[in-house]
Amino acid sequence: MVVPLISIILLCPLAAFAIFALLGLAKRSFPRQDLLSTAAMLIALGCSLYLLKEVVPKPEPHTVDWISLGKITFSMGFYLDIVTVIMLIVVTLVSSLVHIFSIGYMHGDPRYPRFFAYLSLFSFSMLFLVVSDNLLGIYIGWELVGLCSYLLIGFWFEKDSAANACKKAFLTTRVGDVGMFIGMMMLFTRFDTLSLYGDNGIFTRITNPEYLTADASGIFWLSIAGVLIFCGAIGKSAQVPLHTWLPDAMEGPTPVSALIHAATMVAAGVYLTARMFPILTPSSSLVIAYVGGITALVAATIAIVRFDIKRVLAYSTVSQLGYMMLAIGAGSYVAGLFHLTTHAFFKALLFLGSGSVIHAFHAMHAHHDEEHTDDNEHEHDNHGLVHAHGSEIPPDQDMRNMGGLRRKMPWTFGTMLVATLSISGVPFFFSGFWSKDAILAGALGKAMVSHSPHYYILFGMALIAAGITAFYMFRLIFMTFFGEPRNQEMHDMAHESPWVMVVPLLVLAVLSFPVVNPIWFNDYVKPPPQPHIHAPQHAQLGPDTKTGDANSGFAFFGISEAEAAEEESGKNTEKANDVYRIYKLSHNIAMVLSICIAGLGILLSWLFYHRRKFSAESVATTFRPVYNLFWNKYYFDEFYDGVLVALTVWKSRLFAKFDLSIIDGIVNGVATITRQIFAAFIGFFDNRVVDGIVNRVAEVTWAAGGRIRRIQTGAIQTYLFVVLGGIVLIILIFRAL
Amino acid sequence: MSLQHYLVISAILFSLGIFAVLTRKNAISILMGIELILNSCNLNFVAFSRFVTPPENIDGQIIAIFGIVLAAAEAAVFLAIILAIYREFGSIRPDEVDTLKG
Repeated sequence: MVVPLISIILLCPLAAFAIFALLGLAKRSFPRQDLLSTAAMLIALGCSLYLLKEVVPKPEPHTVDWISLGKITFSMGFYLDIVTVIMLIVVTLVSSLVHIFSIGYMHGDPRYPRFFAYLSLFSFSMLFLVVSDNLLGIYIGWELVGLCSYLLIGFWFEKDSAANACKKAFLTTRVGDVGMFIGMMMLFTRFDTLSLYGDNGIFTRITNPEYLTADASGIFWLSIAGVLIFCGAIGKSAQVPLHTWLPDAMEGPTPVSALIHAATMVAAGVYLTARMFPILTPSSSLVIAYVGGITALVAATIAIVRFDIKRVLAYSTVSQLGYMMLAIGAGSYVAGLFHLTTHAFFKALLFLGSGSVIHAFHAMHAHHDEEHTDDNEHEHDNHGLVHAHGSEIPPDQDMRNMGGLRRKMPWTFGTMLVATLSISGVPFFFSGFWSKDAILAGALGKAMVSHSPHYYILFGMALIAAGITAFYMFRLIFMTFFGEPRNQEMHDMAHESPWVMVVPLLVLAVLSFPVVNPIWFNDYVKPPPQPHIHAPQHAQLGPDTKTGDANSGFAFFGISEAEAAEEESGKNTEKANDVYRIYKLSHNIAMVLSICIAGLGILLSWLFYHRRKFSAESVATTFRPVYNLFWNKYYFDEFYDGVLVALTVWKSRLFAKFDLSIIDGIVNGVATITRQIFAAFIGFFDNRVVDGIVNRVAEVTWAAGGRIRRIQTGAIQTYLFVVLGGIVLIILIFRAL
Repeated sequence: MSLQHYLVISAILFSLGIFAVLTRKNAISILMGIELILNSCNLNFVAFSRFVTPPENIDGQIIAIFGIVLAAAEAAVFLAIILAIYREFGSIRPDEVDTLKG
């Protein structure tokens, strides 16, 4: 039952794209590509929900052999466990809602059918990535979603900024993918396979001393491989330092931002890291946690000073992805995935809501486009790769033009407010609170159990980032929906979006309440064992024997089952209770702290942007250097522009010069030598030697012929005489014999 | 009369024919020499048929008859050629007809 269901889930969106592509060959298009793609997604959604009921207690990979090379066989297959099914549901659900939203949002676009075909292709690729049971399949899906992201960011490729942004996204993620590929090859050389599960999978072989010894060198090697694989996630999930592409990716249509650059594709990096959880070692975990923590903090601080509504959300996405990475790095597998799920819903909602706001200003959009192309002409003449910085904000996305929209767009306002409360971590009634709290508790618990200063630092970073998140999200809400309209002309034009756009918002708003229940999540999702973090000899007996109820609470707060099992199987049950108590305590501390800091963030935001007790401008003036740092996004783009791009351009110029002078010089020199020396010699040889021989032969033949012809007298009797003589001669010779 | 007598006669005839063919300056005389050679051959055939093969085998004599017929046909063709040569060159002396001279 499982395999046909997965096949349907994968094939539906693929078929929707294939119909578009094949009809496209005949220069035609399906009359309602939008409905076709949406229906395909809804079928996939239905199947995914059904899978939730079907999912087997002991997940098995379903594989077929794909390529055999000597002893090595690459397989292709599906692996279905509860995490996969959750991801399937998240992807198909958000994708379906985005499809429906797009019917309204993209209405009237000249490439309307193509948009839906791309969405279908993206959904297929993402689902393929999610269900693959081996790194090769994941990598294929990985690159396919990268391609779709490229196509959809550059969907309005007439705009230079969009064209540059899609190139930038593609190239930047490729940097990470190179690392990931090297990591895959490292694993492959060691384990002779790219399959993850099953008896011959990597996760079985990491505990096998035949393949990997658990000594320092083996662990070091595994750490390097883990960090390299994580490089792919850095690129795809827009972690520092490869995060710069994601804010620029907002040049794509807003539903794309919601689907690809908030809910699904960028979360693929987190998903990959979670999938690779068993190969993580203490050092690679720490690297992941630090990258995540720094990303969370850096992106949140940049988001404070943005005025483009979509870019605030983009930096918020980067920051939240950093959170998930931090969780996985801290061993809070379940918390990371839980945050992934809740974030997918409320961030998709925020993006779709911002899309709804932008749509409200749509009339302005057309007007703006004309202006925009005008100044592009002279602005984008210089080398354009990293120039998609978006320093110029389209007026329909500029929060300084908004304000007071809550009366004009009550549904959009209401749903976005729910999502904002959720992402800010307002306690108890919103899913974001539970997932964020779980991550904070996990980090603090890890710190308290391991007594490692690193994790205290990381907990601090996450906590500060949580406060900043609450601040900038309410800043967005206050600037957009409260106060008086700042731009009366645009405000008059604004209107509530049609129902086809509002319904997805409502569905997502429902999902931003703890519908995705933390308790349910905690019961079903179990972290896989990490044999190289928790003494391997224990882990080998540990994980399967121990799944008692007492431990189900651990997983959620960050302690992995293996750790609990190790503690329990060791003689010291008291110690296990200690660990449990510490995690319980850390959870309480983290909860109180996160509520306080979120409240502080919201309060400050309210004072700054609603009551206007303080002026943001005066604060910005007071802390000018800090403000500049945030405003310029920590100069990452400038750094890449100034160092990497400049270096590449310089290197290209150097190579061009090398080509023009050295290579061309060699070619021309060879040509000259050939013409002047070889050709002359060969000409001489031909004229004198070859022609000479031919002429001499002819002359000799001619002269000989002149002499020999004399014997032809023409007198018949002479001939007869010679013949007679010849006969006589022959007779004499025969006689003599 | 033995076989030798016939062969001697035949040899004399043959030699005379050769002599005529090689030395005569008139094409008609050359033709006559050729006829002599042919007849010496015929004489040989008949002689061998008579003295060497069994009496009931008359193959040699039949070949002689063929030879005579052949000679007649040949003479006709030869004379026609000579006529054509005469028309072309105004002479039937073979040493004057030397267009193939190298």
